[in-house]
Amino acid sequence: MNVLVCFKVVPDLDQLSGSDWVVDGCSRVETRFVKRMINPYDESALELALKMADQARGSGVTLGLNSLTIADSGANLTLKSLRALGYQEAVRIEADRDLEFAPEDVAALIAAYVLSTDPLELIMMGRQSGVGDNAKTPLLIAELLRWPCITQVIAVEKDAAGTYLVTAMADEGVVTRIIEPPCVLAIGNAPSSTLRVPTLRAIKEQSAIAVKTYAAAELISTSPTLPVNPGAELLTLEVVNRNRGGLIIEGADATEKAQILYQSYLKGWLAEL
Amino acid sequence: MSLNREQIVSILIKIVGADQVITEEEVLKESSVDRFRRFEELHGVYTQPLPAAVVYVRNTNDVSAVLKLANEQGINIVPRTGHTATEGGLETIVENSVVLDGSAMNEIIKIDPYNMQATCQCGTPLQTLEDRLREIGFTTGHSPQSKPLAQLGGLVATRSIGQFSTLYGGIEDMVVGLEAVFSNGEITRIKNVPRRAAGPDIRHVIIGNEGALCYITEVTVKIFKFMPENNVLLGYTLEKMKTGFEILREVMAEGYKPSVARLYDPEDGAYHFSHFANNKCVLIFMAEGPKAIAAATAAAIEVIVAKHPECVKVDTRYIETWFDHLNWDATDIAKERSEIVETKNIGNTTEISANWDKINQIYETCIKRIRNEIPDMTLVGGHSSHSYINGTNLYFVHYYNVVDCKPEEEITKYHWPLKKIIVEETIKAGGSMCHHHGVGKHRTPWIKDEYGSSYYILETLKKAFDPEGIMNQGTIYPRR
Repeated sequence: MNVLVCFKVVPDLDQLSGSDWVVDGCSRVETRFVKRMINPYDESALELALKMADQARGSGVTLGLNSLTIADSGANLTLKSLRALGYQEAVRIEADRDLEFAPEDVAALIAAYVLSTDPLELIMMGRQSGVGDNAKTPLLIAELLRWPCITQVIAVEKDAAGTYLVTAMADEGVVTRIIEPPCVLAIGNAPSSTLRVPTLRAIKEQSAIAVKTYAAAELISTSPTLPVNPGAELLTLEVVNRNRGGLIIEGADATEKAQILYQSYLKGWLAEL
Repeated sequence: MSLNREQIVSILIKIVGADQVITEEEVLKESSVDRFRRFEELHGVYTQPLPAAVVYVRNTNDVSAVLKLANEQGINIVPRTGHTATEGGLETIVENSVVLDGSAMNEIIKIDPYNMQATCQCGTPLQTLEDRLREIGFTTGHSPQSKPLAQLGGLVATRSIGQFSTLYGGIEDMVVGLEAVFSNGEITRIKNVPRRAAGPDIRHVIIGNEGALCYITEVTVKIFKFMPENNVLLGYTLEKMKTGFEILREVMAEGYKPSVARLYDPEDGAYHFSHFANNKCVLIFMAEGPKAIAAATAAAIEVIVAKHPECVKVDTRYIETWFDHLNWDATDIAKERSEIVETKNIGNTTEISANWDKINQIYETCIKRIRNEIPDMTLVGGHSSHSYINGTNLYFVHYYNVVDCKPEEEITKYHWPLKKIIVEETIKAGGSMCHHHGVGKHRTPWIKDEYGSSYYILETLKKAFDPEGIMNQGTIYPRR
């Protein structure tokens, strides 16, 4: 395999209503009752890898894709769908405890898996997730494996020389680098990266083939370094009020309203700039 | 001699004023289609003749004057309000058509809580009316998925139905009276009375006419007390659709009226309820109304469901969360559009109805045939969402990847063959090919099969009310 894409199935937080954002006393917002989805940044990573494989195939290069998640058996359907889309392997690590706020442990498990399998060129994953939003996991994996990591990646291609063209957002704009593998890519706001949909026929072909599953305990024993002292520990959750103020400008017509908007608000702000 | 585009536009400007007559090409392109051709539209391909103009009417007299002109000059008129049609009813298939848009006629004329009715102009968004009513403790009882976008005129013109129909009925059960303008400019008003036996119910000439007989300008609907605090939601998973249909039938046959009674097959269920359905069918009920009635209805449904051991009750909070996200709004539409462009995966629906003894057969036959005959399918499933004493509906949901064809070939390669299977199997089994989206332009090939000998009545309506054939040609009735 050339590329491992790691993903997480998460609750669709848009489906939570305001009253659902109530902490229930055990440091957790109750999300069991909302639909699940692939973390959108991970979804972009999955689709970018498929696009890269398509592009490589067009140049006569076969790119092996592997997908991995740490989840219970409920994720098997997603993994099989990914195989139906062209991922040659789909791997699930069964965790023995809740890892939502434990990016160090997640990184250790993924690093252990990477070291236990055939050599890889790239690890791709979303830069962060809406749930357990730490934005640390790709960086921690890179550190554990002693690989470089590029963040805010929005496109990636494999070239004929065996190197990769990685495009990423940076403070100064968009940067495209030619990199020698191995590397960890943390995918950011990649445009046009909605995951394609497998056909029923392709899913059927994959349905009887089991997902390769590892127990976390089995992998963790081979992990390069186990974090002894995680950088952060979740103690409490509280609701942050993010309500925005709003004002309806009254005026006889659009011109008058625009005048009020400019004179009363924009003019002052622009002067400050 | 027929008028050319410039002449049509010139006369329209004289009638309604230049501000009301839109001729920008982008507007004309968007106005030449509805959601049926959205794959083409999303790829910037427009295969239908562009209309000469879109006219935003301000009042009933505008409508009358424009129709009179069209009738005299043989100009095809496509009536429109919310632009949410799904079956091609808004396609401008005739050269130099005029799209008559009533969305600017959006006044809530009167809310009459004592007589329990509300009167609105045709362009009133249902959501606006519903919000106003809820502020004072009432509801229309009408809640189609398009509620945030659809407007009253179009909802009545397409015989719309909402998610609470099993209690409140379809729009035809809610409409009390109407104002409509016919092709010769004749303005007609049907008064708002509880019931009458003074000949045939002429409201039904107007309700569901899809702009093929007249233009609806005003609607009066019943209103109901809104008591959401009494709502009781119930949800179950089960193995077989057949069992679900039996339960729905028993609930209806025993005389219970839940507002929501829905049965999803495993595929459609997985789309909506992947977090708990576990590849099973899903059955959902909501009982509402006065507290004692809602409680009694829910209790009775629980007794009926309990007779079927394969049904497993799910935590009500799953159903509550689903219930809070029933409708589509502009954000959902925008998201869908970008996803279609990126993935080339598009979903459509086809809704039919049939008696209890035929519905499962139609369901099984259609699903099997679509899976076997249509290429590149990514989802085919369905749900029943509107039940009656003698039968129920089926809402087939079909998604496919558009592969190896141009945008303009998507309909002929996928959508139309799919619809053909569902329509033909339904009519063969004695059901109706259209439950609540209307005929539009893409089910007209089967309209005579749908009606049989009663097509005489339907055909005579067209001859009587639109003898010149200027009203939305090709909709309901095959193009002349």
